[in-house]
Amino acid sequence: MTDVAITTKSQTRAVVRLRNWTVYFGACAFVGFALFPLYMMITTSVKTDQQAFAWPPVWVFTPNFNAYYNALFVFGGRGVGHYLMNSLLVTVASSALAVFLGAMAAYGLARFRFLGNRDIAFFILSTRFAPPIGFIVPIYLMATRSGLLDSPIALIIVYTSMNLSLATWLLRGFFLEIPIEIEEAALVDGYTRWQIFLRVALPLVRPGLAATAILSAILSWNEFLFASIIAPGNAATIPVFLSGFSASMNIDWAEYMAVGTMAILPIMLFTLLLQRHLVRGLTFGAVR
Amino acid sequence: MPHVEFLNVNKMYPGGTRAVIDLNLTVEDGEFVCLLGPSGCGKSSTLRMLAGLESITSGDLLLDDRRITDAPAQSRDMAMVFENYALYPHLRVFDNIAMPLVARGVPRAEIRTRVHQVAQTLHISQHLNKRPQLLSGGERQRVALGRAIIRTPQLFLMDEPLGHLEAYLRVQLRAEIRRLHERLQATTVYITHDQEEAAAVSDRIVVMNAGRIQQLGTLIDLLDRPANRFVAEFIGSPPINLLYAVLSNNGNALQIGPTLLPLSPPQRARLKKVRGDGFTFGIRPEDISLTQVREITTIPGRVAVLEPQGDKTVLIADTPSGHLSALVPSKDVPQPGESIRLRCEGSRAHLFGPDNEGVLHGIG
Repeated sequence: MTDVAITTKSQTRAVVRLRNWTVYFGACAFVGFALFPLYMMITTSVKTDQQAFAWPPVWVFTPNFNAYYNALFVFGGRGVGHYLMNSLLVTVASSALAVFLGAMAAYGLARFRFLGNRDIAFFILSTRFAPPIGFIVPIYLMATRSGLLDSPIALIIVYTSMNLSLATWLLRGFFLEIPIEIEEAALVDGYTRWQIFLRVALPLVRPGLAATAILSAILSWNEFLFASIIAPGNAATIPVFLSGFSASMNIDWAEYMAVGTMAILPIMLFTLLLQRHLVRGLTFGAVR
Repeated sequence: MPHVEFLNVNKMYPGGTRAVIDLNLTVEDGEFVCLLGPSGCGKSSTLRMLAGLESITSGDLLLDDRRITDAPAQSRDMAMVFENYALYPHLRVFDNIAMPLVARGVPRAEIRTRVHQVAQTLHISQHLNKRPQLLSGGERQRVALGRAIIRTPQLFLMDEPLGHLEAYLRVQLRAEIRRLHERLQATTVYITHDQEEAAAVSDRIVVMNAGRIQQLGTLIDLLDRPANRFVAEFIGSPPINLLYAVLSNNGNALQIGPTLLPLSPPQRARLKKVRGDGFTFGIRPEDISLTQVREITTIPGRVAVLEPQGDKTVLIADTPSGHLSALVPSKDVPQPGESIRLRCEGSRAHLFGPDNEGVLHGIG
C-alpha cells in the first residue's frame, strides 16, 4: 500500500520536473526571441559598418561609441538631445496631467452617486473607440488656428486627452476596490472629502497610479502619428526624428541604432523604476 | 438630559426599501444604548444616519437640542468603530490612532503623549510601529477602539465591533468596552445581533425589527414583559415556546390543545376586549417543569429529543399542540419515547393577541 503510494509520488514528481523544464525551455526561447532585436540594435550601435555587415556575424568586438557621440553632438547641427528633451517634456507633462486629472475623475465616478454616473463612465471609455487617425484633420486645423502647430503644448494637450480616458477608467476600478468603510472612518474622524482623496484614497491606489503612469508614458513616448503631423519640425519627438533615418538614401546604421537605443532607454528605466509599486495587496488586511 | 433624539426619522433607499420607519428614540447623556435586532432590521441604517454616513429621508435628528439632520459627517464630532475595523492600511498603528487628532490640528507633542496613553489602556503599545495587516483581529479592533477614544467625541458609535472576532475574544473585549464606558462615561450607541453581548455592555436595549422599534428596556424587561411576539421569540435562549391557544367555550380558561389554564376575572375581562380569535401562548423552557399530576392544567406529551447542557437538559417533547422544549434538571430525565406531563408556570407565561401584540404577562 505504502510502496505503491511512494512510487506514484516519485513518478508524479518526475512528471512535474519534466513539465517544469519544458516550461523553462519555452520561456527561454520566447525571451530570446523577444530580446534578440534589442540585442541587435544595441550591438549594432557600437559596431563599425564592416562589423555590422560581416558574415558570419561578429560576436566578439571592441565597442566604439562614435555613433553616440555623433548622434548627440554632431548630427544635424544640434544632435538628438533636443528631440529627446522634446519627448521627455511631452511625455512627463501629459502623463502627469492624465494621471492627476484621471484620478480625480475616477474618484468622483467611483464614490459619488449622481445621475448618469455609469453612463458618463462608459462615455469616457467610448472616446477611445474611434481610430485616432479619424481626428487628425480637425486636430491639425485646431493646432494651426491656435498657433500651436509645431509646439510641445499641442502634443501635450493631444496626449493628455488620449490618455485621460484610459487613466480614468483604470483608476476607477482601483478606487472601487478600496473598502468604503476606510473612507467612512476618515469622514467620521473629521476629514473632508478632499483630504480623504489625498491622504487615504490616493495612497491606497498607488499600484494603480503606477500602472496608469507607465501606460500613459509608453503611449505618449512612442506616439508617432500625431507627432509627425502637428509637430514635424522644432517640436518633433524622438519617434519623428527616428523616422527621418529610414527616409534617407544611405542609412548610417550605427547612428540609427544609437538613436534607437537612446529612444528606448528612458521609457525602459521609467517602467523598471515604477514596477516595484505595482505590487498588489496593499489594501489586504485593512478590513477583516 | 436627552443627548440624542430621533424624531419621526425615516430612511428610504433608492429602489423603495424602507429601512427605518418612524423612528423615535432618545438617548440620555452618558447612556450606553444597544440596538439589537436581526440583520436587515434597520439598526445599521439608524447608526449610519446618526453618523452622517447615510442621509435622513424624513424626520429630524437632534444632538444636544441642536438639529444635525443634514450636518456632514465630519462636523458631527462622533467616533465610530466598524465591524471590519476599517483601519488605514497604509499607515502604522500609531498614525491610525492619531488620525482624528491630526484632522483637528492637535500639536504633535500632544498627539504623541495621547496616542501612547491610549495604547497603554488598550494594551497595544508594542504594536505602535506595525502596519495593521500584521495584527490579529482582536488587536486590530483594539486599534480601532483606540482611534475612537483618542479624543472625547460627543458620541461613540459602534457597529457590531465584535462581530468578526472569535468567541473568547468577544467576551474579553466586550468587558473592556464596558469598563471603558464606566471610565469615560461617554454616550454610546452600539449595534449587535447578539442579545448576550447587548446585555453585557449596555444600560438599555432597543429591539428593532423590520425598520421599527419593537421595545426598549433592560434584558430583564424584555424577557419578563415582551411587548410582542417578535420580542418574545428574539430574546431568550433557548427560545420561547409559542403555542396556539383559544378562549375556552365558557370564557373562564385558556385552552391549549387538551389543556385548560384558568384565568382570573380581570384577565377574562381583558381578553374579552381583544378583537378576533386565536391567541399565541408563550412560555419559556425554563418555566416548564415535569410533573406526575395528571390534571387538565398540565400538558401531556412524549419525550422526543434530549439535549444535555451540563446540569440542565433541554427536553423537547411532542405534545398535541406541537413541539415544546423544557429546561429540566439533568438528574432523573425521562428517556426518549416516555410519556410525560408538563406544567407551565402560569405567572411566567405570556399571551399574544391575533395581531401578535402582548396581551397578558402572567396567567392564572
